[in-house]
Amino acid sequence: MVLVGVFRHQLTILMTGQPPKPDVKDIRQGKALLRGQTLAQNNSYIPTAAFIERKKYLCQAYEDGTYLKDKASKDKSPTDLMADPKNMEVMMDGMKKQMMGIVPQTLIMGWIQFFFSGFILIKLPFPLGLRFKQMLQSGIMTPNMDVKWVSSLSWYFINLFGLRGVFALILGGENSADGTRDMTAMSTMGAMGQQPGQPQDFNKQFLSMKDNLSIIYHEWDLENVEQRVLVKYGKQQRIFKSTRK
Amino acid sequence: MSSSLKLLAEIRQSSERRPFEVLKLSEPLLNKGSISQAGDDVWLVYEQVFIAAIDEGEIDVAKAVLEILHKRFGGSQRVKRLYGMINEAVGYPDEAKKLYDEMLEKDATNVLASKRLIALLKSQGQYSIAIQELVSYLDTHGNDFEAWLELAHLYLANHLYAQAAFCLEEVILQQPANHYFHLCYAEVNYTMGCLDIALKEYLRVVELSTDNVRGFYGIKLAADRILDITSHGAGKSRDSSHFKVENAPQKATLERLSQLATERLVAIYSGTNDATKKTVEAWLKL
Repeated sequence: MVLVGVFRHQLTILMTGQPPKPDVKDIRQGKALLRGQTLAQNNSYIPTAAFIERKKYLCQAYEDGTYLKDKASKDKSPTDLMADPKNMEVMMDGMKKQMMGIVPQTLIMGWIQFFFSGFILIKLPFPLGLRFKQMLQSGIMTPNMDVKWVSSLSWYFINLFGLRGVFALILGGENSADGTRDMTAMSTMGAMGQQPGQPQDFNKQFLSMKDNLSIIYHEWDLENVEQRVLVKYGKQQRIFKSTRK
Repeated sequence: MSSSLKLLAEIRQSSERRPFEVLKLSEPLLNKGSISQAGDDVWLVYEQVFIAAIDEGEIDVAKAVLEILHKRFGGSQRVKRLYGMINEAVGYPDEAKKLYDEMLEKDATNVLASKRLIALLKSQGQYSIAIQELVSYLDTHGNDFEAWLELAHLYLANHLYAQAAFCLEEVILQQPANHYFHLCYAEVNYTMGCLDIALKEYLRVVELSTDNVRGFYGIKLAADRILDITSHGAGKSRDSSHFKVENAPQKATLERLSQLATERLVAIYSGTNDATKKTVEAWLKL
């Protein structure tokens, strides 16, 4: 069992491969959005003229799609964005990883079912209530047998969950040997509407950032800095009314 | 032994450039071979030692270290950059440039290579090309405030103050709490004659950094200048049209600010020797 786990881990490493490297235009696209965010966040730290200049430029750039990776795709719908080979790669990678989890798990389960079902492996040294029957005697259809007896299939599952610590010890914390994660993944797969590999629609994000920027009411943080400094160095009483003209 | 490794790691993490200390700390490590105690970090230590050796002009040490790195990571881009740096250090900038160009051709997103290339251009005095490269770098990596700062310095070296001010605004947007950037911005504005903005930025400096000498000198200069211009009337003084003072505070406030700056400067210099004090007082016209 341990060997199967190690094998799984190595196989996953083999299949995962390198994440695709973003090219210059991808970076440019992301950083352009970041720049808008910074401007929206820290707008009060630069003079009004400087802010307006930047706001105008960025809004125009966002609207024209200056920073878009593929300017032609500006008006395309998000489904067309999937045609981008890079996005395809990302999605394929995710699929591959999921398949990696499912295939060996199914194989091993089939194998286990085939070999281990139908016989008793160990006997517990202590009695247990009837409730544990389901947990300890799966694969055996004998309603009258004492719960002390553990079927081989159940023993497999108990080991599967128990071995997680061992794997963490020999393969390091982030390993893909234990199958429990795949199980949870399988059960939640149906619930996942959007795959993680869904391409981001930068055009839409740019446009919403443009809206964000254009509604900012700019007020320079230094508008009444004279008063603040005078107060700080003890030259003036603190006053609360705004000193803007 | 491990304490020196720890110190090296600290210097590395704070990305300080202290070549002398690095070399001194690493010399026994290299000679006794106990550098392997660093574990996986050993390669980072080698790189650090290499750069320090180049800074200090210890080309032999650098060559030895580079040999080790080359053995371990043959065709790595990161090692290639080190080859470029050693070429720069021994005076073959063209070779270095070729290496950097090759790296960029292979991977246009290589930030380290493009930065080296710009630094190389700058060191050769080709400011206009360096500015071009840096601008195109910033078009992609717009959130790299250190690059904006570098661009500002390049513009300043060419007396392009308005452009430098724009770069500094960009730096301030990303790092609004660092008083040094405000100080630079204030000084550029003062030079351009935007006295109102300069004064406010100088005030910001002393607000963020208590008793900042350069900040108070700036306040004193800017406030007195504005007072001078406004009291003489806009038209009278010959060069007042160059100055922007529209958004400056009222006269009373300006006077108080100037007075405050004088007071603080005198207080700051009160602990120094008499000669310094006299110079300051003479400048302040006390």
